[in-house]
This record gives sequence, C-alpha cells and structure tokens, in this order.
Amino acid sequence: MSKAKDALMDPLFNNNPIALQILGICSALAVTNKMSTALTMSIAVILVISCSNAAISAIRNHIPNSVRIIVQMTIIATLVIIVDQMLKAYAYEMSKQLSVYVGLIITNCIIMGRAEAYATKNPVYESLMDGIGNGLGYALILLIVGFIRELFGSGSFFGLTILNPTNNDGWYVTNGLMLLAPSAFFLIGFIIWALRTWKPELQE
Amino acid sequence: MSNDSILKTFLVVFLLCLVCSVLVCMAALVRIDREAYNQLLETRSTVLAAGGYEEQLAEGASEEELFSNFEMKMVNINTGEFTDEINAEEFNPKDVRDNPDMMVEIPVASDVADIKERPKFARVFIDNSKGQVVLPINGPGMWGMMYAYIGVQNDGNTVTGLKFYQHSETPGLGAEIQSAKFRKQWEGKKLYNDSGSIAIDVVKNGKFDPSAADAQHTIDGLAGATITGDLVGDLVKYWFSDHGYGKFLANYTKSKE
Repeated sequence: MSKAKDALMDPLFNNNPIALQILGICSALAVTNKMSTALTMSIAVILVISCSNAAISAIRNHIPNSVRIIVQMTIIATLVIIVDQMLKAYAYEMSKQLSVYVGLIITNCIIMGRAEAYATKNPVYESLMDGIGNGLGYALILLIVGFIRELFGSGSFFGLTILNPTNNDGWYVTNGLMLLAPSAFFLIGFIIWALRTWKPELQE
Repeated sequence: MSNDSILKTFLVVFLLCLVCSVLVCMAALVRIDREAYNQLLETRSTVLAAGGYEEQLAEGASEEELFSNFEMKMVNINTGEFTDEINAEEFNPKDVRDNPDMMVEIPVASDVADIKERPKFARVFIDNSKGQVVLPINGPGMWGMMYAYIGVQNDGNTVTGLKFYQHSETPGLGAEIQSAKFRKQWEGKKLYNDSGSIAIDVVKNGKFDPSAADAQHTIDGLAGATITGDLVGDLVKYWFSDHGYGKFLANYTKSKE
C-alpha cells in the first residue's frame, strides 16, 4: 500500500518529471500561455499516462522483449488518438487551440519513460498510481507556469480579467515575453531553483 | 510458450493491433459523427459575431433564433452572381480548399495579400432583417492562414463587423485581432472611397488619427503586432477588389436598391 502511495506522491515534488527529470518540456512551453489550455493538456496527459501505465502493466508478463518498445508505443498512441478525437468531438474550440500538441503527447518522454521504467516491472495498481502521480506532477508545473504566464501576459485568469490590460483601456501594461514560449523556460528554471532550495537533497 | 518465441511475438503484436485499431476506429467514428455539428456551431457563432449580433447574444438571445435571420446562398465569385451549382446546405469550405478543381489561382497583380488561390464559390449569409451580407474571407497571417467572416451592409460599402474563426497568430500580440477593442473599430468603417476604389487600411498602432479625412477608412493596428495588422488589412483589400467580392457586391447592391 505504501508503495502505491509513494508512486503517487513522489512525482509531485521529490521526483517531478518536469522539474527534476526535465522531461516533457516541449508541451510545457507550447500550451502554457493560458490556464485553460494548460488545464486541458494536463487532464489529457493524466488520462493517457495512467491508462497506458495500467494497460502496459496488465500485459507486462506477455510482452515479448524484442518488440516491447513498439508494443508500448502502440498502446500510448492509441490512447492519445482517442483523447485527441474526443477533444475534437466534444471540445472543438479547445482542440483548435491545442492544435498538434495533443497528438504530440505520443512523443512525450514522461509517458514512454514511465512505461519502460515502471509499468513493465510493477503490478497494475501501483503502475496506475505511478501514472496518475507523474501526470499530476506534470500538471502541477504546467498549471503554475500557465498561471504566471496568463496573469502577467494577458492580465487574466481562465480568461477572467484580473489586471485590466492597457489594450482594453485598463492600467496594466502586459508583459509580452510571458506570451512567448521562451518565458516558460525562465519560469521552469525558477521553479527548479525554488524546488532545490526547498529540498536540498534534490541537488545533484 | 516462451515470451520471446516467434509465434508468441506475432500473436501478441497481432492481438494488440486488433484491439488498438478497433478502439481508434470507434473514437474516429464518434468524432466524425460530431464534425458537421461542430462546424455548424462554429460558422453560426462567427457569422453572428461578424454581423454585429454580439450584444444581443450577450443579453441572452439564442444563437439559433438570431441565425434564422440569415439566408445561406452560394456565390460564384468569378462572375459575381448567385449560383445553384452547389447546394449551400451541403457546402463544406474545407473540402473545397482540398479540391484543386474548385480553386482559382489569383493573378500576381491582383494578389495584394499573397493568398495565391481562392475558391471559385463562396457561401454567403444574407441577413434580411439588418440589411447586410456576411462573407467568408481568408489570407495568410504571420504564422498561418487566417479565416474570418466579414459583414457588409447592403450599400456594399459599410462594414458591420469582422470575426476570425481560425488563425495561429501569437497569443496576446497578433491574436488580439480577436479582441473587442480591435474588432469594434471595424463597425461602420467604409471599404471604398468616394471614387469607388478600395480605401480601407490597417495602420501601425498609434498612427490612427480620428480627425483625419480618411478616418472612416482607417483602423488602428495592434501594439506589438504590426505585421499581423498589415496582413489583415491586405486580405480585406484583396477580398473587396474586383478579383474578390467586388463584382458580387456591385450586383448585390444594385439588386437591393
């Protein structure tokens, strides 16, 4: 039981996939200029990684070693396509904003990494928890970055105006850098710095 | 049976592929089933926004009811006449763009917005209650093609609104073409000057002078997105030239007089 709890909680801070393993950076830059896209992407990744971990773990004793990466990729790709098609069907506007990035979850190293490093060696329940935990760890960073970028870049939170920007006749001069992808690099850098100051044992 | 035997390897891969392909097909079927409906919703809300119905929508009017003011018709852009060659109800702009037979190359001299080709036919939305027509337009933006609807009053000159429904401009900069502030400026602007040539233009942010003689043709651009603003101006200029909707608008205005 405690192993499952560790699998769930560890990836949040102690072994965060973005902040510690520096994986999944591409989408963390691309979809975090707004909270709504960051949240949708987070949910999509949590769904894919938890289902893929559980599925791969369930058949782990039957996967031939010679084709195991292909088998994992096939399962992950299937799940990603299902999520992508469901978004296109039921959240059309959001799927247009996320464009290719939902499809690119297939290549997200976090998911492949967890499948290969954890799900092939552990029982279903623990693998599921590990998937949810890593998904939440990814979501946590995405939402922090998305919150800062949307607040300072557009003066809003989930589209609601908090700091009235000058281009809407308000007083807040928006920070253009926050709207561009490179700002996420800076923010993730600061998050890594903060995390390693808080938990010095994470320093390499 | 050993996991690594050839038979088992093929068996596992075969079964996995079978299960996965069934799942993918099911997901795709659900999406295809909803596609027409999603596109209808998108077109409906964009046309209403371009037709200046946003205030009524904000007050809680139903999209469906407002949209019933509109009549869909197909226009042959080359001749400027309405056409029955294509059923407006079944018209799908995306299919047309993928079909070379339905596209017309734009001569370089007319192609002020560098669009390269446009469809032969357009689906226009005629609003008899407000006396306007809403037209689809598109053109390249900074990062990709931008698609919009623009509303024009029956005088064939006064803009009622402009609304993009697809673009990939930079969020917060070029994407502000969707902001209320930018869009409000288009309302009431005149496309053509007194001598009948295209005068509408998007100028660099801050260069707009409300007291200037050409203020009724000029739109203030976006801060930090001069290129996007210029491109929006260019595509509107193209679509209201003779190679765009010029002929159609002339016919249409005459028929409404």
